[in-house]
Amino acid sequence: MNSLQKAINSTSISRFRFYFQIAAFILLLYGGYLAINIGDELPTFACVYTDLRGGSCYLLGFQHQMAAPFKRMFSGRGIAILIGLATFVGFFVLFNKTWCGFVCPIGTIQDWITKLRRKLGIRYSTYSEPVFQRLSKIKYILLALLILIPMAIGNSFFGLPKLNHDWGVPFCMICPGRTVLPLFSGDFSQLAVDFSSKTKMIFTVLGMAVTGLFFAGSFVKTRFFCLFCPMSAFQYIFSRAGLIRLIKDGEKCTRCGNCYRACDVGIRAIADDVDSKNIVKDDCMMCFKCIEVCPEGGCLKAKFLTLPLYESTSAGFFKRMDGKNNGQ
Amino acid sequence: MDNEQLRRVRKTTRLHLAMEAEETLQRIEDFPDKPAAMNYFYSMFRDTYIGTPALPMAKKIIATMCMQVPLELILAADAIPLRLCSGANAYDQIGAEFMPSKSCPVVKATIGMLHVNQTLWGNSLRSIVIPTTCDQKKKAIELLGDMGYPIYTLEMPSSKDSDRARFYWQEAVKQFAIDLQKFTGNRITTKKVQAAIAKIADAAGLFRKLYELRRSTPPLILGTDLFLVNNAYFIDDIDRWRQAVATLIAELEERRENKVSATNRQAQRILFTGSPPIFPNFKVPILVEQSGGIIVADETCSSTRLFSDSVAYDEAGLNDIVPAIADRYLKPSTCPCLTPNSDRLRKLVTMARETGADGVIYQALSGCLPYEMEQKLVNQTLAEKGIPMLYIETDYSPEDMGQLSTRVEAFIESLKARNKKKIKTK
Repeated sequence: MNSLQKAINSTSISRFRFYFQIAAFILLLYGGYLAINIGDELPTFACVYTDLRGGSCYLLGFQHQMAAPFKRMFSGRGIAILIGLATFVGFFVLFNKTWCGFVCPIGTIQDWITKLRRKLGIRYSTYSEPVFQRLSKIKYILLALLILIPMAIGNSFFGLPKLNHDWGVPFCMICPGRTVLPLFSGDFSQLAVDFSSKTKMIFTVLGMAVTGLFFAGSFVKTRFFCLFCPMSAFQYIFSRAGLIRLIKDGEKCTRCGNCYRACDVGIRAIADDVDSKNIVKDDCMMCFKCIEVCPEGGCLKAKFLTLPLYESTSAGFFKRMDGKNNGQ
Repeated sequence: MDNEQLRRVRKTTRLHLAMEAEETLQRIEDFPDKPAAMNYFYSMFRDTYIGTPALPMAKKIIATMCMQVPLELILAADAIPLRLCSGANAYDQIGAEFMPSKSCPVVKATIGMLHVNQTLWGNSLRSIVIPTTCDQKKKAIELLGDMGYPIYTLEMPSSKDSDRARFYWQEAVKQFAIDLQKFTGNRITTKKVQAAIAKIADAAGLFRKLYELRRSTPPLILGTDLFLVNNAYFIDDIDRWRQAVATLIAELEERRENKVSATNRQAQRILFTGSPPIFPNFKVPILVEQSGGIIVADETCSSTRLFSDSVAYDEAGLNDIVPAIADRYLKPSTCPCLTPNSDRLRKLVTMARETGADGVIYQALSGCLPYEMEQKLVNQTLAEKGIPMLYIETDYSPEDMGQLSTRVEAFIESLKARNKKKIKTK
């Protein structure tokens, strides 16, 4: 191990992540002011409803595309869909789930809410882990719905009538990104309930309810919304191809559970699974806090292809914990 | 027993104890080329076992009878943690009065020690904390309570994998933290717990360095010396201990520079596991190192297991720190009281590979059923990996020394022969 790597492994990635998140937040929400736009196929919740954004979420465009009749989907239009998907996958494969841990504005806001709670000295709530894990399967249902509902606009399933265009982007309607992120550019219009049609009214009311849950939930439970995020489910399909990887050497693991304690999304396997090498699970957001709290040298590693990025070392562990114990 | 008789028994027992301790220390010091920094530990044990014991009377003592007791909390309550587990044959014989003759000598000796020294503690002993680990310790809770000792039962689950077990233990530790405040009259605050965690983490950091130096090639320190160093942690003041160990590490690092080895190059590298060697019962480790072996690592609760893990919490509040402390004591534990205990098997295989051990010596103190019963699985697992193991059943009495030394020597000779063959076939 060279000295640069040693120095990196002794640092706190959480601090780096904190500043990186701020930078990413500014770029994605205000990038337009600097005439920056990194694309509309981002695998992260940079909301289209924000005016001068520096890039936007793939899900809106994807839902739009799914609304095309099958006939058109399998014609020339299909190429556009495939290009969109390929761009999304390309963005994702490059950085894997670090999109969630380092970039996603909704994730960042949740982390800020957690910071606020800690500052106020309010404790987190405890809950039954198995129940919560079962609840988190909801994200797959949401993913299925955000594909199937738009499809039912352009096509008729089982002879049922086609849905009208108010059903166009069902997930966006209930996504807290739509209601919360425009607030940062001074746009409060998304908080309104839309009475123009029954469907829209139900969706906007639902959206407000989810927004309420988002704030309440993430105040008592770290990264509460992420457990239900269909983007995370969508990404997970391609996660094995990700170039950044979180790797575990089970032989070095003592199953002390430090990583599980630190994990904001409560992935148990990170501590208990000693057989898998690739330890990225569907809820993982690649924040690498687990690496920070692992005292066993080389047990947990983040790598970009073969290049080691960050690795657990016992020296780094003791240094970081010492800082923490001294109130830093 | 009336006071007069008890005083007589105490006097003779202390004489026996002093002889036992001196014998063990002599045999350790007989090894050539000891690091000078070891003298601190030799004299510390001499002072403790020979002559009248000096208790840290000024402070409140929270005694423990197992490594599962969270020391961080005891330190945070401004009390002195003191591990009572005894390795003395003299006390074992006294304890035989209270427990069946076939029961574990560690528990027997500890009960014997507490029986003999009943009047010595005075007001400073606030509590003896006994986790509900093995059956013998569980029953010791009742026996010692009957003697009039302030016993605290720390409820521990017999399994660690489920969330149920984890929460149960976390609740037990939380309650322990609350009760500690009552025993000591001191409040446990976040700041104090953090300071205590930092202290113990520092000790663990030092231990890790020592572990590296011990397993390096050639080994820089005898395993017996290391057992002594780690045993000292039971009873020594943690700040003094850290200082002494830091000095030892500095000296060992110097030795590494100068290529001084603790033993000859043919010494067979041994991984020691099983029932804990507790001073003065270092019979087996000393035999191993006298017979041409060197203990490069151990997997016992009186040594490596004490330090191999450290507390990591996420939020700086007692609501997160106390459960984090609880987790550190349960989740990585490889105590044979837990079932399943597959982590111990995994750990042994990893340690054997990491330390380049030629063989494993498994000590079971007769009566220590969990270790006796786990022997078969351990043997099987190691055999699968091609690591030879010697199983030794012994106790605190010196009677089986002759028989043991023959077996240990034969085992080490067989390892040597095996290695020669390996080199030839290469």
